[in-house]
Amino acid sequence: MASCSVNGTVYGVVLNDRDECAALAGVFAEKPYLAAPLAPVLYIKSRNTLATSPALVQLPESCACLQAHVTLALLLGRAATRVDAADALRHVAGYALAIDACEPHASYFRPAVRQRCRDGFLPLGNFRAEPPDLQGGVIETLVDGVVRHRRDLSTLHRAPTQLMADISDFMTLDAGDVLLVGLSGDAPFVSAGQCVEGRLQDLSPVVATILEAEAQA
Amino acid sequence: MKRARVAFDGSIHWATPGPNAGGLVLADGRPIGPTAMIWLPPIDRGTTIIALGLNYADHSAELGFKAPAEPLIFLKGFNALTGHNGSSVCPADARQMHPECELAVVIGRVARRVPRAEAMAYVGWYTIANDYVVREYLENYYRPNLRAKNRDGLTPLGPWLVDAQDLGNPQSLQLTTRINGQVVQQGSTSDMVFDIPLLIEFLSAFMTLMPGDVILTGTPHGVAFVKPGDEVETEIEGIGILRNRVCGDAVTRRERS
Repeated sequence: MASCSVNGTVYGVVLNDRDECAALAGVFAEKPYLAAPLAPVLYIKSRNTLATSPALVQLPESCACLQAHVTLALLLGRAATRVDAADALRHVAGYALAIDACEPHASYFRPAVRQRCRDGFLPLGNFRAEPPDLQGGVIETLVDGVVRHRRDLSTLHRAPTQLMADISDFMTLDAGDVLLVGLSGDAPFVSAGQCVEGRLQDLSPVVATILEAEAQA
Repeated sequence: MKRARVAFDGSIHWATPGPNAGGLVLADGRPIGPTAMIWLPPIDRGTTIIALGLNYADHSAELGFKAPAEPLIFLKGFNALTGHNGSSVCPADARQMHPECELAVVIGRVARRVPRAEAMAYVGWYTIANDYVVREYLENYYRPNLRAKNRDGLTPLGPWLVDAQDLGNPQSLQLTTRINGQVVQQGSTSDMVFDIPLLIEFLSAFMTLMPGDVILTGTPHGVAFVKPGDEVETEIEGIGILRNRVCGDAVTRRERS
C-alpha cells in the first residue's frame, strides 16, 4: 500500500508521552498554559508536508537544525466517528513510520504551523495492513546510522486506540486521513548532510536526508 | 461568475444562480427550485484549510489579546465544513459557542514564495465562512485548539464561489452576522491586521499553496453566543448570505457504556 492513498488530513498529537508530561507539570501550571491539557493536543500537517521515503528535507534559511520526530502513522480505511477504543483499529487500513520534522520551538501555546508545515516536512514510509506491536514496540531513531533515540509505545499517555476514541468523539477521522500517534519532546536535532532513519520492528524504515537551506537570490 | 456545489437527485453538481429568486441552474442546464437541493461546501476534500486568529484589531481587543506581531495561523480538516442552509451542533454543555463571519480566499494557482506585490494574481475565488468556536473547549495548547475549532460541521462554507475578478476590491467589503435577525457583528475587511497579499506572501514563504487551498481571513469584533434553534446568517457584501441553523446535541449524542 503506497502513501499516495493518503488523500485527507494528517493529524498529530504532542504531549502524548507520560514521562514528558510529568516532567513538564511545573511549566504547565504557569502562564501561558495555567493547567495541564485535558484533551489530546492536536496539530495538522498540511498536504505540502507529505513526502515519500526516502526523502530530502530542506532546512529553512532561519535555522541550522531541525528536530526529527519519528512516529507511527495510522491510515484510516473507514471513517471513524465517535468510535470506542475497543473498536478503533477496525477503522485503520495501514500502519507506517513517519518523520515529523519541525523547526525547533519551545512553546506549545500557539499552533506551530510555520515551524511544522514547511514543504516536505513529513516523510512517510510504506503503509502495511498488519499492525506492529502497539503495546510494547520500540521506535528507534538513527542519525547517520547510530541509534540516538528510543520510544517505547507503552509510554504513550494515550494509546492509539484511546486517541482515536477521544479524537473521534468530536471530529470524524475520515478514510484517507492519517493519525500520528505522538512525538517525543527529546527527539534528536539534525543538521545539513545528516541522514535520519526511523525503525519499528519489521515496518518499512522511513528515511530522510537533511539538505542545506536554499540559497537566497 | 458565481457557482454553488449542490447535491440533487442522487448526484453532486455545480450550479449557477437561476432566473427565479433562490433557484439554480445545474451545470447540465436543468433549472431547479430553491428547496430542491442540498448545498455543499464548495471546496474539495484534501485541500489545505488555513485560518487566521486575531486578524481584526477590535476582535483581539474584545478577547483581551494584543494583535499579534505575525499572523496567528491554525489549520482545519475537511470534516469541519458544512454547506449553506445546514445545521451546526451546539454541544450540550456549551454556553459560549459563537459564530465568526470571515472572508474565505481560495487559491487559484500554485503559490510558492510569492511576493506581496504579486499575490492577488494567485487568488482564484472568494466565499464566506462561519468559523464557529466553542469557547469552553479552548485550552492553552496549540490555541485555538482542534477540540474548539475543528468539530464536525462547525465551519459552514458557501454559498457561492465567486470568481476573483468579479468581486472588486476584497479589502473593502462589509461583513455582517445576524442571529435570529439581530445584527451581532458588523465590520469591514478593510480592518484586517494582515491583508490578503501579506497573508499569501507570509504563507507561501514556507508552505507551497495549491489551487483549492483556502484561507479564512479572520473576523471582526462581536462575540454573541448561540443556542439550539438559533438561525445564523453570515453575510459578505458582493458574495451573499451564508445561513446556518444551530441544533442541539441530543440529536447526535449516544450513550457510552
